[in-house]
Amino acid sequence: MFQDRPLTGYLLASPALLACALILIVPVGILLSAAFQVDGRVGLGQFVSFFADPLNQDVFWRTLRLAALVTITSAVLGYIAALAIVGMSPGKRSLVTSLVVLPLMISPIARTYAWIVILGRSGLFNNTLQGLGLGDTPLRLLFTEGAVFIGLLQLFLPYMILSLVSALENLPRDVTAAASVLGANRWQTFVRVILPLTREGLVAGGTIVFTGSVTAYITPAILGGSKILMLETLMVQRVNVTNDIVSASVIAVILVATSLVANDLLRRLATSRRERS
Amino acid sequence: MKPVVLTFSTSPFLGRMIAAAVISLSMTSAAWAQQQVVVSTFGINQDAFQRILFKPFEAECQCKVVVESGNNADRLAKLEARKDSPNVDMAVFLDFTGLEAANKGLTEKIDTSKLTNFGKLYDFAKDPLGNGMGVGYTAFGTSIVYRTDKLKEFTSWKDLWRPELKGRVAIPNITTSQAPNVIMMADKAFGGSSANFAGGIDKLAELKPNIVTFYERGAQVVTLFAQDEIWAAPVGRFNWGNLKKTNLPLAWMRPAEGEAGGVNVMIMIKGTKQADLVHRLMDKWLSEPIQKALADALVDSPVNMDVKLTPEVAEFSTYGAEDLGKLQLIPPAITLQHRGDWVSGWNARVAR
Repeated sequence: MFQDRPLTGYLLASPALLACALILIVPVGILLSAAFQVDGRVGLGQFVSFFADPLNQDVFWRTLRLAALVTITSAVLGYIAALAIVGMSPGKRSLVTSLVVLPLMISPIARTYAWIVILGRSGLFNNTLQGLGLGDTPLRLLFTEGAVFIGLLQLFLPYMILSLVSALENLPRDVTAAASVLGANRWQTFVRVILPLTREGLVAGGTIVFTGSVTAYITPAILGGSKILMLETLMVQRVNVTNDIVSASVIAVILVATSLVANDLLRRLATSRRERS
Repeated sequence: MKPVVLTFSTSPFLGRMIAAAVISLSMTSAAWAQQQVVVSTFGINQDAFQRILFKPFEAECQCKVVVESGNNADRLAKLEARKDSPNVDMAVFLDFTGLEAANKGLTEKIDTSKLTNFGKLYDFAKDPLGNGMGVGYTAFGTSIVYRTDKLKEFTSWKDLWRPELKGRVAIPNITTSQAPNVIMMADKAFGGSSANFAGGIDKLAELKPNIVTFYERGAQVVTLFAQDEIWAAPVGRFNWGNLKKTNLPLAWMRPAEGEAGGVNVMIMIKGTKQADLVHRLMDKWLSEPIQKALADALVDSPVNMDVKLTPEVAEFSTYGAEDLGKLQLIPPAITLQHRGDWVSGWNARVAR
């Protein structure tokens, strides 16, 4: 509508842009700029000393590792679930989709505490194991990386499924049939037809899951605690307990950077495949 | 003018209503002119402090008590940020945070001649920070709470390292008030004698197989015990009441090495314009009825020697010359001096 009058377009967009800049970009910029100051001068010294601390290194790698693991696992489980959902009759499909969405409507705190009920030493899982005679001593599951992984996977898997369902819905119906007519088995059809054609959904879902896992707070705080620190829980500890705003800013910059890099990498992955094919 | 007079004379009820309105209006304006004293304090047990201490004090002084709550580090940082125009008149801290505030020039010397209860305090509470910069208002012991049905009796801090406690211990995080005491006792229990308790960090690193998690707040320990995640944890005495409420078979260890302890202090903020009210509030806080009421509510153990507690309450307190005399207190200057090393040692070897 405004293509031939670019000025009008800019003018109309400017109040929103201005508000966004004033309310979001400027304060976040001020907050993050603290991370780049060393004795009043601009520098990367804060980052060097942050990564010099072995605990911080641990926390950084643990965060990346868990987020990557959650992303990969949710992609695998997500494709299985999404393919099943797309193949269902419309009535069944909407029922199953709402079941997938249901956990998103429960407060993350309640959802995470439910995991304590399940994973606790006298929780559902251990009681079942003992009831079946599979173990005498209850396993310690809480406050481990495994507990954080399970919590994050449950938290973000629905986003991956929804993203893949919408990608699969846009897939032309005939292509899978065409592939099998041409002699491809189901695995070959998936890898060479479905996967390349739905990669944008995978990238979108993957970005949400990875960024979400890196920046989640409640789940690692409750299921991991102070022993299994993640970047986000470490940041809150720095702000609330030790009042170390500078290193909290450093962590915030690392979190933003990690999210941007992950998003970029995933997008590159999608485009390079497209160019190859 | 006329109708008002008429109303007053014809309807006594309405007249009384208007009179009440006028009086309450004048009270409101009096309240505006009322003096106020701002106290920076811990968030824990605020209801009890309001009921037992602050509300009665407000009635007495015809002034208003405004509470600003938070943890040690957070509140100290706020005080420092507003050093030049302080809006807080008085603060309570752990002894070493109080000393940090004093070292940063944030405190004013307390005029103990204005504290009628000063002479009744145990000696350790009279000048814990030096130079009259703080007065102790409560003390607490730190010891190990353990499950009596799962474990044989604890007699030493060393018992925490027993192999049957694998994956069954929670210890306070380095950021908490209890951590220095745990480091000290870990050092002393195994024969360490250095002034900076250097061996404590090594010993806690060896405790790692037993450690389930590091707790940040007292309430977390209660949950961990209640959920059967842990069987033993070093805790402050002020948390013992909450732990007993779980109805689990728990006991408070009386260790061979003695109990570690800590003192909380009151300080007056430099530049306060309410020095008089601050001294009055401090004096009330130290008085026998308030100290007893706070102990009875299982909030704080008393440091006023006149306080007599029932055996039931004493069970939940660090109480009496005998208990208090046995407390091993880390001089706040020592904590301040070595805390940086403890944190880096902890982060490198215990928390990983």
